[in-house]
This record gives sequence, structure tokens and C-alpha cells, in this order.
Amino acid sequence: MTIGKSKRFFALVAVLASLTMVVTGCGGTSADTTDGDAGSEMVEIKIGVSSPFTGDVAALGLGIKNGATLAIDEANNDPELAELGIKISGFFVDDAADPKTGVTAANQMVSDSAVVGVVAHLNSGVSIPTSAVYNEAGIVQVSPASTNPALTEQGFANVFRVCTIDTVQGSFAGDFAIDMLGATKVAVIDDSTPYGEGLAAEFAKQFAARGGEVVATEKIQLKDQDFKALVTKIQALDPDMIYVGGMYTEAALISKQAKEAGLDVPTMGGDGLYTQQFVDIAGAANAEGDLATSVGLPLDLQPKGVDFKAAFEATFPGQTIEAYDTYAYDAAMVIVEAIKQVAADMGADQVATPAGKQAVIEAVAAINYAGVTGDVSFDEKGDTTNKAITAYVVKDGAFVPYEQ
Amino acid sequence: MSIDLSTVPQQIVNGVTLGGMYALIALGYTLVYGILLMINFAHSEMFMAGAYFGLLFLNILSKVAFFTSSTIGFILLYVIVFLLAMTCTGILGMLTERFAYRPLRHAPRLAPLISAIGVSLFLQNAALLWISSRSIPFPVLFPVKNYRIAGANVSTLQILIVVSTILLLIGLDTFISKTKIGKAMRATSQDRDAAGLMGVNINSVIALTFFIGPALGGAAGMFSGMYYGNIKYNMGFIPGIKSFTAAVIGGIGNLRGAMLGGFILGFIEAIAAGFLSSGYKDVIAFLILILVLIFRPGGLLGESVVEKV
Repeated sequence: MTIGKSKRFFALVAVLASLTMVVTGCGGTSADTTDGDAGSEMVEIKIGVSSPFTGDVAALGLGIKNGATLAIDEANNDPELAELGIKISGFFVDDAADPKTGVTAANQMVSDSAVVGVVAHLNSGVSIPTSAVYNEAGIVQVSPASTNPALTEQGFANVFRVCTIDTVQGSFAGDFAIDMLGATKVAVIDDSTPYGEGLAAEFAKQFAARGGEVVATEKIQLKDQDFKALVTKIQALDPDMIYVGGMYTEAALISKQAKEAGLDVPTMGGDGLYTQQFVDIAGAANAEGDLATSVGLPLDLQPKGVDFKAAFEATFPGQTIEAYDTYAYDAAMVIVEAIKQVAADMGADQVATPAGKQAVIEAVAAINYAGVTGDVSFDEKGDTTNKAITAYVVKDGAFVPYEQ
Repeated sequence: MSIDLSTVPQQIVNGVTLGGMYALIALGYTLVYGILLMINFAHSEMFMAGAYFGLLFLNILSKVAFFTSSTIGFILLYVIVFLLAMTCTGILGMLTERFAYRPLRHAPRLAPLISAIGVSLFLQNAALLWISSRSIPFPVLFPVKNYRIAGANVSTLQILIVVSTILLLIGLDTFISKTKIGKAMRATSQDRDAAGLMGVNINSVIALTFFIGPALGGAAGMFSGMYYGNIKYNMGFIPGIKSFTAAVIGGIGNLRGAMLGGFILGFIEAIAAGFLSSGYKDVIAFLILILVLIFRPGGLLGESVVEKV
């Protein structure tokens, strides 16, 4: 019995000792080191990427994954990075567009000490709670798509975004409805999420300030399919336009059910609607004339849009570029640039240390990078200084930039 | 903002169509509960499966020129697609019962409930992995017209859904109350062991129950696909919860109660969304559920459950 006990004790000590070695191995220097071709040691550094890969908004989320994948592939072909002795890999986690799953995903990423930064998340409702996790872990978060102003108003020094915020987008849409569409009466609907509520409120504020009348303010629930009763109610108020603060699935169903009920007015929304899936769900005939604003310039007008398109089509044949692919690419590239600077200053093996991660945050804050979407730099809150917004309209079954 | 009563007829039409779908799904919950005293949480996935089966057969059969060349062809096409989709969903229901519930029939009542949740997650994720995470458009191949009836716009689809639902409900009611197999089902519901002693084949009655319930749920899934124009792997979740609520409002275990509960719930939702706020429609629907349970714990038509010894 004593022999059995002591055997077990030794086994335990052995396990603990090996665990300690793993932990110090990871925490002390950087992560796993692999032998390079020329025999030089390459330090592996990871960039976390988290967005909805499944569920209702998977189209946009998988686009973010594609954009970040392209950036990471390109970074590994960069001779400058190879010279510094760094190999970058992606750590992809699904957040399912759900705050709870998102926090789990965030913890999963930060628990890997080789992760020095994350490109995350799509939904503001997910980015806001997870930002606290990244802040505590001391790693940089660059969101490609979360547009709710509250994200960068928390005072976290490590939180950045490359997309324009809702206050800009919502008020742009309010002006656009008055100036370009001549709308006077609008029904405003939001999907009870931080993104949808924030955007709809900004739109309504600007639209009313410009002399428009908001005839209804309604809330819907995610995953609901039946908006017939809501549409009937709105129809009686005779609006010239429906503004939806929300994502494409619900907005497309509202557009479809409105037209079926005979309420033939355009549905307009923000960047959450700007995907071909919106047209597919609503049906091309119903979506015709519907509008969406999205952050930044159209892909063809983005400084490196044509190059991006070529690279995208070579890597992901048969897939389409979604609203945030270029933003995810730029978000990942910003982190890569910061890693390069820190590696040059402190040495490649120092990047994944707490001090290195802190240096990455500071490097991102000061970054000035010529990205696909334009010149990327951040103000003191962490918001992008690029404030471009474009309006798109559905024409012949696809979103095209709006022209008068 | 004053309340505009001119939309009342339209809201009634909206509510009745939605209620018809709830009623069809609610029957599946109530049938299974009546026989096995178990809540089949996988039923919402039968609704989803029915929609996917329907789309599959519609895609295959609409390639046959005969079906798309004439009105009679269209009617035949939809009848055949409905029958095939309902049969396949029914068989899926029977398989679920055979492999997930029958081995647990004599286990404590919690065990089959957990098993049902497992089946639900399994089917949902199977559809997610094997088919797609995205919404798939569900085509309506015949021209949809709008009719003006008593101040409300009624579309061909709404008429089709409500009429077919009512036919299915009457058919089921007649089947249960008039046929010999229906009698065997009622006997099993009252006392499973005694019915077995009287020569009723319990296993086949239960299997049949698990065919009929999912088949009706599958029909509702197809209606939902046609009505809303797209289907998705998680489309069963919300209608599943709502229909379960409808079954409880009507008195779980009671067939006519489930039908009544479905229509009441659809109606309440439409009125609440139309005249109060669409953000509160679920709050109001569940408030009604709580009130019903406080004043009539067995549900509106729920006395027959109390007779159970």
C-alpha cells in the first residue's frame, strides 16, 4: 500500500514537473520554436481571429476569417518578417455571434501565450464584453467590424477598430435619406442588440433633426421570422422608407414581408445588411431598390482593392468578398506591422512576453499603415481616423454603389 | 400614436396563419405527451427536417416538365412533395423513438427528456454540418396572388396554409376518434399496461404516434419555408418553443386543446405586435401562458389529463 502510494506520488511529481516546464517554456520566452529551413530558429507567434463562423451572420463572419487568413499568409511571405525570425499563424475560434460564446473564445485565445493580438469580433455585442478579457490579458484587440461607439469608450488602451463607428454611419444614413431619397416619414426598427439599437438611434436622431418624421420606433427579436404583424402596423402609418438597425437575415425578411403586404417602400440599413445574402433571403424582386450604408469605400475604389480582389480570388476560388474581408485583412496587417516593429526593437523571442505584448499595443496605437481600405491610423480612443461611408443600393439583384 | 382599428382584419389574418403553423407543431408535442407522458424536445428539429426534405423533393421533382407545365401539374407536384416530406419526417421521428427513447422507456422520466435534448442538438448540428450554416431560399413555384377580403390582404399562400392546416387537423381528429387504430392510441394514452393486456400492440402504437406527430411538424416546416421564403438549420427553435407553449395553453395531452392553443397564441402575438409593440409580443404571449396556468393548471381543455390514474 505504501509502495502504491509513493508510486502515485512520484507520478504526480513527474506530471507537475513536466507541466511547470511547459508553462515556463511558454511564458519565459516565446511559444514553440521550430527549426527553419536554413537551420535558424523561427519564433512562432499567433494572431487570434474570432468572428461568427456558424449561425445567422456566418456569411460576414467567415469573410472576416478569409480576410485575416489572407493577411497572415501574406505576412509569412514577407522577407522582412522571415529575417526577424518570426513565423505567424492564425488561431481561429468561432464566436457564433453570441456574447457568451465570444467570452469563451476570448479566454481560449488569451490562454495561449503565443497569441499577441486578436482580430475580433464582428458583433459589437460580442466585442464589448470580450474587450475586458483582452484588456486583462494585456493583448491588443483590433475589431474589423464592431461599429457601436461604446466599444472604445470604455477607456481600454488595448482596444482598436479599423471600421467607422455608428455615430458616423447612422447620421450619414439620416442625411442620405433626406437629401438623396427625399424621405419624409420613416419607420425605424432595431433588433435589440447594441449594434442595431445604436445605429437605429443615431439614424432617427439625425433624420428627425433634419426635419423628417419618425412614424414608428419598433423592436424585434433575433431569430424571429414572422414580421407580418409588425409590417401591417407600419403600413397603416404610411412611411416612405423603413430603416432597420440590425443584421441581414431579419432585415431581409422584413423587406420581403413588407413588399408582400403591398408596402412598396425601400428598406435601408447599415453595414449589417451589406451582403449578397440579404438579396438572396429577401428575393431579388423584393430587395430591388433596398439600400445599405457600409463603412469605407467600395472595394474597387479602395487604394489596394484591385490587388486584394486578385489575391482573394486566387486563395478562395468561388467565394465572394463580403463587407468586412478587407477590414479583417487590414486589422491583421496592423498587428503584423506592430509585431515587426517590436521584434526589431526587442528581438523576436521577446514579442510574446508580457512586455512585448504591451509594446505591441503601443505600436498599434502609433501605427500609420497604408492598408487596403485606406491609410490606417487610430485616434486617442482607438477609433480609425478613416471616416468614409458609402451607400449601396440593390440593382438587378446585387448591391452596387448608389449613384443619383 | 393612436390605435388604428382599420388594421384589425389584417392582423387577424396574420395571426390565424401563424397560429395554424403553431397548431400543427403543437399536435406533435401533445400526441407524444398523451401517450408517453414525455416532452419530445427533438420535435422542433422535425419541423426543420420537414422543411429540408420538402426543399429536396421540390428541387428533384420540379425538374420533371409535367409538373411545371400546367395548373394540375403544380397541384400534383405540391401534393406529392408534401406527402414525401411528411413521410420522410415521420420515418425520422420513428427512428428517433426506436433508438433514443424506446431503450429508456422504463427509465426515470428525466432520462428520455435528456435524450430528447440530445437528439435535438444532434439533428441541428447534423443539418449545420452536412447542409449549410446559411439560410437557403425556399422557392414558391406557383404565382402568388393577393386577394382583398373584408379589409384584409390575403395571399394564395395564406389560404393554402390555413386550408391545408384545417384539413390536416380535421383528418387527425377523425382518425383518432373514429378509427380502430385511433381507439388503440386513446387506450394506450389512458393506461399503457392495461391496453397491452387487452391486445393492443403498444410498440406499434407508440411508433405510429412518432410517425404522425413529426409528419405534421414536417408539414408545418414546409409551410414555414414557403411562407417566409427561406429555411435554416436552427429554424425550429423559436416555433418549437412557441408551439410547446401553445400545447400547454390548450392543455398538454389534449389534441383539440393543442389546436386551440396554437390559434390563440398566433392570434395573441399578431395583436400584441400590431397594437402594442413587437418587442413585447413574446412577453405578452408568455404572460397569457402564466395566467392560464394559474387559473387552469391543466390548460384550457386539459381535464382529460386529470382522469389519468
